[in-house]
Amino acid sequence: MKRLLVGAALLALLGLSCGRKEDTVELRDWNFGGKPRLIEWLRHRVEAFEQTHRGIRVVQSQKSWNMIRELLYADFSVGTGPDVVNVHANYAAEFGGAGYYYPINTFPDFQDVRKWYVPHLLESTRYRENYYGLPSSGIAFVLICNKELFDREGISPPRTWSEFREAARRLTKDTDGDGTVDQYGLVLLGGDKGGFAYRLVPFLLKAGADIMSDDLKTIRFNSPEAVSAVKLIADMYQVDHSITPGFLAYTLTEINDLFCSNKVAMSIEGPWFRGMVDDKSPGKKIYTVPVPVPDERIAAYDTASTLQDMVMYAINARTKYPEQAWALIKFLRNEEADMAWIREDLGAVATTRYALGSPEAGALPDLPIYIHELEHAKPWPAHPSMIAIASDVFTPYTQKAIVGELSPREAMDQAAHEAQEMIEGKR
Amino acid sequence: MRRYTPYMLLAPALLFTMFILVYPVAQNLVNSFRDVNLVRPGGGWTGLLNYRHVFGDAVFWLAFRNTALYAVIGTSLALLIGLGLALVLDVNTGKMSSVAAGLYSIPWVVSPVVAGFAWKWLLNDHFGILNYWLSSAGIVRNGTSWLGNPHTALACVMIARAWQFYPFAMVMFLAGLQSIPAEQYEAASVDGATALRKFFHITIPNLRPVSSVLLLLGVIWSFNDFNMVFVMTRGGPINASMVLPVLVREFSFVHFDLGKGSALSILIFTLLVTLSFLYLRVLARRERA
Repeated sequence: MKRLLVGAALLALLGLSCGRKEDTVELRDWNFGGKPRLIEWLRHRVEAFEQTHRGIRVVQSQKSWNMIRELLYADFSVGTGPDVVNVHANYAAEFGGAGYYYPINTFPDFQDVRKWYVPHLLESTRYRENYYGLPSSGIAFVLICNKELFDREGISPPRTWSEFREAARRLTKDTDGDGTVDQYGLVLLGGDKGGFAYRLVPFLLKAGADIMSDDLKTIRFNSPEAVSAVKLIADMYQVDHSITPGFLAYTLTEINDLFCSNKVAMSIEGPWFRGMVDDKSPGKKIYTVPVPVPDERIAAYDTASTLQDMVMYAINARTKYPEQAWALIKFLRNEEADMAWIREDLGAVATTRYALGSPEAGALPDLPIYIHELEHAKPWPAHPSMIAIASDVFTPYTQKAIVGELSPREAMDQAAHEAQEMIEGKR
Repeated sequence: MRRYTPYMLLAPALLFTMFILVYPVAQNLVNSFRDVNLVRPGGGWTGLLNYRHVFGDAVFWLAFRNTALYAVIGTSLALLIGLGLALVLDVNTGKMSSVAAGLYSIPWVVSPVVAGFAWKWLLNDHFGILNYWLSSAGIVRNGTSWLGNPHTALACVMIARAWQFYPFAMVMFLAGLQSIPAEQYEAASVDGATALRKFFHITIPNLRPVSSVLLLLGVIWSFNDFNMVFVMTRGGPINASMVLPVLVREFSFVHFDLGKGSALSILIFTLLVTLSFLYLRVLARRERA
């Protein structure tokens, strides 16, 4: 009898557990990179979502930002990708075009939701007629200056290219008198092909150059303005020697080490950099200013574009639960959630009108400058081959120009030729 | 039934081998003749187009040259160091020899990824110990960039490779040295041969089979070596230290052109099979001798 009862109880438990599983929808959410504080915040936000959306369980996974494209392609191409993922917005063209992302404008309430966001930020998630994600965090590339070194030299952050070059020259010096230069004006992220392109393109944009034509059919980064931007950096490296000689090997870790140990005075970075500096050298002061413009464009200093990058929450086109995934990304990115980006330093900039217009927004260090730069910033052109062009064509050729293997004109012409072949499908 | 028993016993191992070795190679071979691109899904058969793309890529030829240099120079350097240390260890100094042999073998047991990171920091231009030593001695100026300079990056990874491979060479050479009959040296001494003559006319000829095996193995392993180069330079700067295994990754997981990546890996595979065949021939000849 006892055995019978135990058996019946086990069967009942089994039945209950099966029934419960059928009622619960499980969403897989991949998060790439981010500061520990952001990851912690996300965990709490997801817990709050699960409490308010009974029947949806979210399994979060933290992934390396360095492996983002490999992981996404590997999983999306075989149909095993996560339901929800936070990725670069400029992947909208590449992954949206390949049919991997769900077009979120097909949800009935999309028109209401879109009103939350600053319009041009939301536009970065669009490829052709579809939107593929909700903006998560805005990023504008700016010039970060080491305040201690600038103050010691008695100079202000530069606004024009000649001021920039002069500042870099003056900040390049032998500080201990051993006959060797041990402090440099500028450092560049040369060891990361993608990251290097992100840091050089702001100079091209500030000079008024375009990366591609508006119809996305012609490469334009070999224009005289673009060549002049590459020449500026090449001259700083070859003539002034004001860029760290070993920049071609540097990753972000090394740049942070050099910056915090006062071996470099300037770097092109984004909102994550203050946190990185704080983690390594608490209390270290920095100036955050727009990337300088060519002297003749000083009148456009406040409006010249820098490079805009953005992270967005996208939904896998093959998810079994699009409605639930939509509910999750709305919850993670609604106006209330976005206020966390204002109240806490999560390493990026809020994207909703509500958060950016809040009184607290003006009090955050650097935020006004990032908001200002984002107003005029341009994203990468929304072409599916753009990321590959940036990493595999733009970066190697511009690096060759900077170290003197090619002239800036030759490098940009050759790069433009190869990139043109890529967008025409010849390579 | 008894006739089939051996085959049945072998079947699990054979199936496992098929699954982990034959199937991936066969699939790779198939992919090398197809347009398999994750960015543009849905391609079909393309014949030899992927191979043409590989051969038409300037970076392939640069990577091929670099890989050959990396394999031959890195291995040769390791063999020279290994031989030198084996000769030192062959002079029996009691317990010290065993201790020294253990210490010298450390690089062999360090994971290539860990070794790669360690070398990367040793060679760092501003914080590396190498620059500190060399600049203190007045040999180079402080801040000299080794891995960020296209002219020195490949040499640095070769040195790191030699550092990792020399203990294996040392152990093999030591075994070779200890198997040389003492009578040969005694006879040479009676004939008045100098130490140098003994080294060139007895030691080196006796070590020739070991050397050829080591050279072949070193070249094969170096051709396949991904970790050290990837961790230290990722093939940079500006492809200056690009080697074939890293290029396979670039084609396959950066450009997502698995067809082209497969074609390149099949080319490497063919080359390695040829080298392995040579290795087996050398082994066979050695055994006959």
